[in-house]
Amino acid sequence: MGIAVLAHIIVVMVLSPLLLGIIGKTKAFLVGRWGPPLLQPYYDIGKLFRKGNVYSTTTTWIFQAAPVVFMATVLASSVLLPLGGLKAPLQFWGDIILFAYLYGLARFFMTIAALDTGSSFEGMGASREAAFSCLAEVVLFLDFIILALLSKSLVLSRMIEGNILSSWQLFGPALLLTGASYFLVLLAENARIPVDDPATHLELTMIHEVMALDHSGWDLAYILYGSAIKLFVLGALFVNILIPFHGLSPTMQTMIFWGGMIVLAVGLGIVESCMARVRLNRVPQLLISAFVFALVGLLVVLIKGV
Amino acid sequence: MWLELALIWIVFLGVAILGNNRLGTMIQLFTLQSLVLSATPLLVHPGKHAVVMALGTVVLKVFLMPNLLFWAIRHVSIRREVQPLIGYGKTLMLGGFLMGVAFLISSRMDLPVKETSNLLVPCAFSVVMIGFLLLVSRFKAITQVIGYLVMENGIFLFALLLLDKTPLLVEMGILLDIFVGVLVMGIVVNHINQEFGSASTINLTNLRD
Amino acid sequence: MNFFLSGLSILCLGAFLLLFTARSPRSQGSRRISEGIFLSSLISGCLLGSVAALGVLIHRVPIDYRLNLRMPAGEFYLGVDPLSAFFLLTITILFLFAGVYGCGYLKDDKEKNLSVHYAFYHLALISLMLVVTAKNAVLFLMAWEMMALSSYFLITFYDEKEAVRKAGYLYLIVTHTGTFCLWIMFLLMVRQSGSLNFDQMALASFPLPLAGVLFILGIIGFGVKAGFIPLHIWLPHAHPVAPSHVSAVLSGVFIKTGIYGLMRVLLIVKDFPEWCAVTLLLIGMISGVGGVLYALGQHEIKKLLAYHSIENIGIITLGLGIGLWGQIAHHELAAWIGYAGALLHVFNHAIFKGLLFLSAGSLIRATHTGEIDHLGGLLKKLPWTGHLFLVGSLAICGLPFLNGFVSEWLVYRALFEGLFHFKLNGIVWSSLAVISLALIGGLAAACFAKAFGAIFLGNSRCVDITRVKENSALMYVPMAVLGGICLWIGLFPAVMVSFALRASATMTSSTISSMTEGMIIAPLGTVVLGLLVAVEIMAILILFKRISTKFLPVERAQTWGCGYSMPTNRMQYTAASFAQPLLDIFRNVLGYRVKGSKPKGYFPGEGKVSSHVTEAAEDLVFRPAFELIKSLSAKLKIIQYGYTQLYLFYIFTFLLILLIWKMV
Repeated sequence: MGIAVLAHIIVVMVLSPLLLGIIGKTKAFLVGRWGPPLLQPYYDIGKLFRKGNVYSTTTTWIFQAAPVVFMATVLASSVLLPLGGLKAPLQFWGDIILFAYLYGLARFFMTIAALDTGSSFEGMGASREAAFSCLAEVVLFLDFIILALLSKSLVLSRMIEGNILSSWQLFGPALLLTGASYFLVLLAENARIPVDDPATHLELTMIHEVMALDHSGWDLAYILYGSAIKLFVLGALFVNILIPFHGLSPTMQTMIFWGGMIVLAVGLGIVESCMARVRLNRVPQLLISAFVFALVGLLVVLIKGV
Repeated sequence: MWLELALIWIVFLGVAILGNNRLGTMIQLFTLQSLVLSATPLLVHPGKHAVVMALGTVVLKVFLMPNLLFWAIRHVSIRREVQPLIGYGKTLMLGGFLMGVAFLISSRMDLPVKETSNLLVPCAFSVVMIGFLLLVSRFKAITQVIGYLVMENGIFLFALLLLDKTPLLVEMGILLDIFVGVLVMGIVVNHINQEFGSASTINLTNLRD
Repeated sequence: MNFFLSGLSILCLGAFLLLFTARSPRSQGSRRISEGIFLSSLISGCLLGSVAALGVLIHRVPIDYRLNLRMPAGEFYLGVDPLSAFFLLTITILFLFAGVYGCGYLKDDKEKNLSVHYAFYHLALISLMLVVTAKNAVLFLMAWEMMALSSYFLITFYDEKEAVRKAGYLYLIVTHTGTFCLWIMFLLMVRQSGSLNFDQMALASFPLPLAGVLFILGIIGFGVKAGFIPLHIWLPHAHPVAPSHVSAVLSGVFIKTGIYGLMRVLLIVKDFPEWCAVTLLLIGMISGVGGVLYALGQHEIKKLLAYHSIENIGIITLGLGIGLWGQIAHHELAAWIGYAGALLHVFNHAIFKGLLFLSAGSLIRATHTGEIDHLGGLLKKLPWTGHLFLVGSLAICGLPFLNGFVSEWLVYRALFEGLFHFKLNGIVWSSLAVISLALIGGLAAACFAKAFGAIFLGNSRCVDITRVKENSALMYVPMAVLGGICLWIGLFPAVMVSFALRASATMTSSTISSMTEGMIIAPLGTVVLGLLVAVEIMAILILFKRISTKFLPVERAQTWGCGYSMPTNRMQYTAASFAQPLLDIFRNVLGYRVKGSKPKGYFPGEGKVSSHVTEAAEDLVFRPAFELIKSLSAKLKIIQYGYTQLYLFYIFTFLLILLIWKMV
């Protein structure tokens, strides 16, 4: 099992920044530029690993611990998720709750680390993050409820790959709505447009970026890397929800899964190219619509009978 | 399965209309909803009757009405619903609640006709509720027209139940009624705008004694 | 039973001796003596009590004690079954540590008569132990009353303050309203079953309508104590004004007696209509979400914690609700896990909320204020308090590695069990409960990020903290032990979970095989495995970073002000502004208002802003109701003249009327 965990983590660590690279490339193509190389996120993180740290005199150990906790919990959560042919090394009844709460832990530490600097800008980002993630978590759990009802299971792997093919035939509409609402959660949780703009550096409009304003060097590298992993893991969950894998051979599963990931990255790039960031006070509304989508999905599941 | 997907798309677009504040986007979403709607008769009862209905819907709701509405907002040059009676978040939550009620009611309802899919009635109900909510919660006349149209889309879905029972003429009559209604409302919107300098129906309260 | 009784008698003896030393409170010597008596009797009494409880939980053999006193109403009948034992364990552990802490906490109150306070503390502990072990309705109600009175005197320790007296008064009124309902409930039960003893009551069968009436009475009577919204109004007033160790036990165990009583009723009556389970779930959702939202709007640390007690009572009630539903639907597993989750959360909440209140007290002792927005940067000054507060915060948010996660996991698990196996109605309610539990988790995390971040991180906003020093070891050692228990349950949940499962097996009156028990505990073991992965990754990341610092420069500088060169501490984000976006989303539910005047002009003068939430239950329901009662009772003054003869005359006429009524 130890080896399986290690393999899983290495795959995630090696491939996750690539997703960001693909998104960047897509965005560049859509505006008619050649764009930065596909491996740019790796270079960015690598550059930070060669830099020293500057710490504010206000901060305590929490400021330094948060990046580590963030990256570690996000990485550990990937162990609960199957990646194409790779089975999830850790599966148990009720692991979805651990999955969701690990992100809660990461978020808590990032929030208090932002408050640790005593900077009003970072406090602002932390406050927004806390507010929006509350709503996102509710939607996430509603999606989990739908998946659990369809698969009669509380094991993440079984929930997303169990008998999902037959679910698609019977509950196609419900799964579609679940996918839609989860996609919005994905965007909100990973600070993508239209919720947050990872490219701007205007403090007043940012959420995630502003929370890492004072981090530098290795800490910032961990945070950037962790964000890439978070996008990768939550994206893999999205691909897993929407694509029926059950009964395929491992090689087919692998191919479909990675193909799905690439399509997801391109899709994210397209979404970000053609949408504008919504105003901050409209973000809750976006998440509420995600909630309503999932709610209708649940209603459909209930009325079709489980 | 395809019918259900279409139904869910219609509800989905309804929710999207509910959560939007740009009039242009709302009309576009409505157009899309009508387009999906026009496919439903073919999925329920393929046949001549259905084709005529689908075509009628496309012509009226996908081409004529949206253009009319676009013309109206160009004329009164308003782009968004600024201050709705009930906030957007709350309307959405209310919409979710009403949809729950719709599903509840339709699961208890005993229909004399056999339904093709057990999603048809709840979805029809939901769309009616969404339209109703739009009518109640918004001030701008255009938004209210859109709400009215969304509601009509829901009623159209109900009519699908009786597709092979009602004569074509009744359907067409209803569609035509709606069309004339929208036309009149368009003119009214224009006049409200000319009279009061804005297209908010709240001004109509000034007309009382 | 010997352990339990000897513990009880040691405490009685201690209380008695303490009253003897109460004569000369201000001399240093007598303070020493009373402290000595207090600590020694508390420690031995609590240890004996918890040993008794552990014995019952481990061997699963309930013990009984009957004293053949011909009491006027029923016998002196005590019994410790696993359910009682679980609560007994919770009570003794928290009272022990809070009491030791209290000794350190009250050191500075030179003017107060501490012996009396200590005696009341003992009395409260004794009455609590009796409440959870009494097996006779009259004995139960007597202990209940004793508990209410002794806690009243604990709350009003600082009785020279107006707010304290008011809070105590409110508590007294509200708790007696509850007791009134309990009397009716028990009388109905006695009438139906013909016995005052709980075990015989349980043998009687209660028709469903009567069960519904009993349920409602129980909800009101016990809910007042537990703090269900909207019956919670006394709680946010009483908890903050009491001394911190008293707040800790109030929030940790006193309000749980309401939960205990409710569970006792569920155990005695057994068959309930389905709407009862719906009511419990609904109360759980409202109290849970409402409690945490109100907490988010608070500016004072102890008031914030008080509202969080309501939130946690909500989580416990969700567990109870799904348990009851399982009981009604004859789905054993859901009932079993649901009750177990509720019970374990009772224990966990006692531990982490106790810890949080104690840290808050330590904070207030050190800085003389509990205003969150005035503080900041205290982690460096109060390392013990700060870090233990962090442990408590992580636990109360239900985050992994700590005990809150374990019990919330069990409640989730039971709710999902309901989702899989109940009928449509049950599925809808369980999904709603899951969603609200998720919302509670998120909001609680936001709230404690706010509290911890604003108080302990950044820089101090108003208060001068240069001279702030950590309190004595007598205060932080008990806190550290409580923090240790939080971590222990979080990392090795098996023991406490199996205790909770055994206690909840009493509720479902089923014999659970050790295999099923293992089946439920096993996933929690795997959770720990997952956490281990996270810890290993953390260790590796830290190691790499450590190595890197050997080669790379590390500098210290000011926090980047985003181009502004003269940032001051007052410019930091405050707790109130941190909570603003969330409160704004829920502003209509909360009555959230922001008042103030913005600075105007090129050379602006002073501006100020304040925000607060209104208590809907208090302002809209109870205040008008109390006003009405007040005006009505004012009218009764007509018959009062102050002559003793007149009152005797009233009594005489009343007797006469009774006699005549009896004859006819």
